[in-house]
Amino acid sequence: MSRLITITINDKPYQVEPNQTIMQAADKLGFHIPRLCYHPKLSIEGACRVCIVEVEGMKNYVASCAFPVSDGMKIRTNTQALRTARRDIIELILDNHPQDCHTCERDGNCELQRLAASMGIRARHFEGERKRYEKDLSSEAVIRDPEKCILCGRCVRMCSEIQQVHNLTQAHRGFHTVVMPAYNMPMGESVCTACGQCINVCPTAAFLEKNYTQELFEKLNDPNLVKVVQFAPSVRAAIGEAFGLEPGLNMEGQLIASLRKLGFDYVFDTQFSADLTIMEEASEFLERLQSGGVLPMITSCSSAWMKCLEQFYPDLIPNVSTCKSPMSMQGAITKTYFAKKKKIDPRKILSVAVMCCTAKKYEAARPELMFDGMRGVDIVVTTREAAWMIKSAGIDLVNIQPEEPDHPLGISSGAGAIFGATGGVMEAAIRTAYELYTGETLVDIEVEAVRGLKGIKEGSITMDGKEIRVAVAHGLGNACRLLERVRQDPSRYHFIEIMGCPGGCVGGGGQPYAQINSIPLDDENLRKRAQALYDLDKAKTIRRSHDNPDVQKLYKEFLQSPLSPVSHQYLHTHYKAKTPVGIIPRNERTLSGDSK
Amino acid sequence: MDLIRKKRAEAVNRIISKGYLSTKRVYVGMATCEIAAGSKEVMAVFQDAIAKGLTDVYLSQKGCAGRCNLEPTVEVVEEGKIPVKYGLVTPERAREIIERHLKKGEVIQEWVI
Amino acid sequence: MADKQYKLTFCDGSGCLKNHAREFRQLFEEELRRHQIQQNVQIHLSGCLGMCTKGPILIVNPGYIMYGNLRPEDAAEIVQEHLVNGRPVSRLIIQEDHLYNRFFRIFGDSEFFGRQMRIALRNCGVIDPEKIDDYLAMRGYEALAKVLTEMTPQQVIEEVKKSGLRGRGGAGFPTGLKWEYTAKQSDPEKYVICNADEGDPGAFMDRSAIEGDPHTVLEGMIIGGYAIGSRQGIIYIRAEYPLAVQRLKKAIEDARREGFLGERILGTDFSFDIRICLGAGAFVCGEETALIHSIEGFRGMPRPRPPYPSVSGLFGKPTLINNVETWANIPVIIIDGADWFSRIGTATSKGTKVFALAGKVRNTGLVEVPMGTTLRDIIFGIGGGIPNGKKFKAVQTGGPSGGCLPEKYLDTQIDYESLAKAGSIMGSGGMIVIDEDSCMVRMARFFVEFTQDESCGKCTPCREGTKRMLEILTRITRGQGKPGDIEKLERLGTMIQKASLCGLGQSAPNPVLSTIRNFREEYEEHIHQKKCRARECTALLSFVVQDNCVGCGACKRVCPVNAVSGNRKEKHSINPNLCIKCGQCYDACKFNAIAKV
Repeated sequence: MSRLITITINDKPYQVEPNQTIMQAADKLGFHIPRLCYHPKLSIEGACRVCIVEVEGMKNYVASCAFPVSDGMKIRTNTQALRTARRDIIELILDNHPQDCHTCERDGNCELQRLAASMGIRARHFEGERKRYEKDLSSEAVIRDPEKCILCGRCVRMCSEIQQVHNLTQAHRGFHTVVMPAYNMPMGESVCTACGQCINVCPTAAFLEKNYTQELFEKLNDPNLVKVVQFAPSVRAAIGEAFGLEPGLNMEGQLIASLRKLGFDYVFDTQFSADLTIMEEASEFLERLQSGGVLPMITSCSSAWMKCLEQFYPDLIPNVSTCKSPMSMQGAITKTYFAKKKKIDPRKILSVAVMCCTAKKYEAARPELMFDGMRGVDIVVTTREAAWMIKSAGIDLVNIQPEEPDHPLGISSGAGAIFGATGGVMEAAIRTAYELYTGETLVDIEVEAVRGLKGIKEGSITMDGKEIRVAVAHGLGNACRLLERVRQDPSRYHFIEIMGCPGGCVGGGGQPYAQINSIPLDDENLRKRAQALYDLDKAKTIRRSHDNPDVQKLYKEFLQSPLSPVSHQYLHTHYKAKTPVGIIPRNERTLSGDSK
Repeated sequence: MDLIRKKRAEAVNRIISKGYLSTKRVYVGMATCEIAAGSKEVMAVFQDAIAKGLTDVYLSQKGCAGRCNLEPTVEVVEEGKIPVKYGLVTPERAREIIERHLKKGEVIQEWVI
Repeated sequence: MADKQYKLTFCDGSGCLKNHAREFRQLFEEELRRHQIQQNVQIHLSGCLGMCTKGPILIVNPGYIMYGNLRPEDAAEIVQEHLVNGRPVSRLIIQEDHLYNRFFRIFGDSEFFGRQMRIALRNCGVIDPEKIDDYLAMRGYEALAKVLTEMTPQQVIEEVKKSGLRGRGGAGFPTGLKWEYTAKQSDPEKYVICNADEGDPGAFMDRSAIEGDPHTVLEGMIIGGYAIGSRQGIIYIRAEYPLAVQRLKKAIEDARREGFLGERILGTDFSFDIRICLGAGAFVCGEETALIHSIEGFRGMPRPRPPYPSVSGLFGKPTLINNVETWANIPVIIIDGADWFSRIGTATSKGTKVFALAGKVRNTGLVEVPMGTTLRDIIFGIGGGIPNGKKFKAVQTGGPSGGCLPEKYLDTQIDYESLAKAGSIMGSGGMIVIDEDSCMVRMARFFVEFTQDESCGKCTPCREGTKRMLEILTRITRGQGKPGDIEKLERLGTMIQKASLCGLGQSAPNPVLSTIRNFREEYEEHIHQKKCRARECTALLSFVVQDNCVGCGACKRVCPVNAVSGNRKEKHSINPNLCIKCGQCYDACKFNAIAKV
């Protein structure tokens, strides 16, 4: 530990660690300096200038997020001049922001609104022209509304630093500065992977998921439809937050009950098809392993990752599992096996998915995933949209009596539950693959090496004396780093899990906004959500996908066996290279570092 | 150091061999600002004159000396005489400078800065 | 004037004055009268010629014969022998082979140049910029050879530190310290950058310097590279300077061929190369962190400092950034010495500064003067004062980041501190002279419009704040100003100054705040009396036909909206309800019969 230094904040001396910013030091001392563009996971932007403080000897204010403490530094955080300056800065932002808080999607959940309230802005002194832009509705998943943008740059940094997609950037100058995809491409045609992390970090409503709640409400009232819903593992671990509950509460039963009250006829659990995915994926992996197929095999559950793959890593398409995602498998089984079983015309089924994810909206609309001329999933709503619908319908999710999912696509193993956390798919696959390969039961089924929030996790298991090396990456930026390793040394790993969002699905782009006193994608919050899923796993008697009786029954009655022709027809797909505008195909690139 | 002195001496010799010691040296300002004011055309007039047999003149371009409002500028330097600097030189004026100053040694007073 | 037989230049710098230069000159003039040759000679006074230890100094042209250490009794001898008999007095001649001020040899008009002192621009307008031979003949690359063979990097840094040279890009950070910080970094990979992203409206110092003498900049950078231990230099220059770019490219090629750039320079172990990086012309890319982002391939936006580029700059490596003028000073400091250099200028600001003199002044152009020269000397001395008999109103220094200084500051000496104290800045060297016909509110508005347009849009105060200031200024000039607007401008301006991310934002309100401070009454007139005293704000004017109208009808013919009426040979009149204040009638009237009121 380095020696402590003395700083003075508002005339009182404090001993603090060196090598940190004023804001970091102040946070630990209980001074919450107002802030806006700052996010601990992103680089320091220093753009909003809300976190300015006075430092003795400095002519100008300094941004506390960026400025390091030094011994003897005298800091003031709350002088009258500073308060006025901060207030004026926030007013300048407000003056160039639509005044439609009451009708805004983020009303009550807007960081700008909270900040303005804390500044006590009760009048406008500088109002003038306000920027006007059309909304970009071109994407299936993510809406861009530059008029609401306050140019904090969080989305830009998220998109380029954490996700390394580099889709968003500032363009133009001065008052006309705007965040947009390169060449002002519509979001739907851009390299956007629809991960939705821009929505998560946006303090206002400049990015939103495409909202399907009205359409869904309409269809729920259509008596001719059989309304079937599935919900992803991590939805249950996070939806409580949208109702003011602590993060990390498992609201599975309450959610099922609420969805029934919303009007769904059948409530299934995507964890069921997570088990199904493991059956297929583990079998595919073993087949590749035993028959000399392309390795390492890479998971394909994450829709944002799939788009990232097609755009940036088309050379690795042969490595990626052909399995559809659990959501799409569930949709396919719903409209085939389930429909047949219940003697329902599959075209009368409304297949809805409640997902922690925005990219699933994009996935559901992909033509490659259609079968028999149908989409597996008709409507995808995010956790946020589902929470709003439940509130809007007057359903008391918090106090409702928990209920069980419906059969035959409702029972799930613990392995299906942990899909929602980074490393979960790998852990679940190991549990099943080990047993399928060795014929023995894996005793120590909790694979600690692939748990937790480290960006890239590596581990290995020994199956019948053979060492299987695995790796897990979450967030597309980590994925890129991992895949560069693979490009350099394809034999380094056998099996890789990639999730597009930080923390895996629990940190999905469709999860509830950060509540008061919290920040988006807070690690502690992500850990609690993941823990809820691990606890769920622990509490189950069935913890291996292949032990799921309903899955076994599905194979017996419909699919025959993993990787069977029926499976291939409904549960597998193929991916193609995509080169949207702005992407130079890999073989045409001349930059050093790109082999070939 | 010796190397650089040698290089310098060589450079001077090269300049001299190109006729630096001609009786009259003519410098035409050729910076962006001067070119915008028309110095390229002025330069062409001098080049043309030399091509057509004007002798004893060392023609060179130079950068902006800073007399923005008087560009293009042309300087005529003769050893032993006070340099003459003409301002607002047009191709017509350049032709006259050739005729009167360079050939007959007459300084055209009204155009001198 | 060229008909005079001799041109005499007396150094009138403070060093020479201490050595009784003025008394010597008086004696000399008496001698001229005694010989009755005063009409044959032309006498100029020059600013400091930088040879203070040898003063008084007299230069006799033609011939560029320089006399030094003159004593009163020498006057008679020089006049008699040199001017009358045409035999220079060899015992008094001093030989100086310094780099600066060589223009005295060849420049014809020493009224304009005489008061200047040319160090950075020493070769501009003197040599052919596309010939390395010309540069070599002017002792080019001798400084490089000297540092490579006779000096350690540490000694080079010490020399630059001792010279007192400060950054000429605007902020005035001591150059030597910057070099030292960068040299201290242990990272083996370092960069040297020349900031040639000149963007102030009306400023062209860097362009002229590069176009006139590109090798000086290269030589300065190579020396910088040697001093800090770098192998790679980059010149960041805007693509709008094609000629400068072309000459730089030529210069780099020539320098490579002659062994001044590339591997093992001049046969030593030191290797260094320079490449050019073209900027797209964003004003903000003159800010060093934005410039670095731009070179890296990102959008040119500044980032908070620290860390400073000297610690973490281009590609995260220690980087030494100086602007063109700063680099151009380096070879002179090496050859003529830090001691000599530090004698020029004021206590805190050493050397010279280049200004782009523009606006309402007789001689517009580039001037380089010693620090400590007064604004009055530049504007009324070198600049020749205000044309057309108009009254001086203000001088704007530092471009969009600077301030407007009224008459009472004319005797301010030019150095970083004095200008700041007066409420402006040195900046990179823009100097715009404003006469009574210019409206200060419009002036301020012009600069704010520029900074708003060029704001990178990153930080709130600059992006949003300058927009609101622009709106307020616009409405004031349109006669829609409201009570309280001045206070709002001050409140916003102060906030933007103190809270913006980079230097551009922090200085953006300067033109407004300084005009409010010095010309508040003009703002008040606009707002309360709806009056523009400079008659520039057309919305606040009306055009009136006066009694001397002869009824020629010229105004009537040009009026696009038929607001002028009147019979031929009778006084016309303008209908204010129809008039759109385009001013065409005003321009058309040959009798000055239309007044703006």
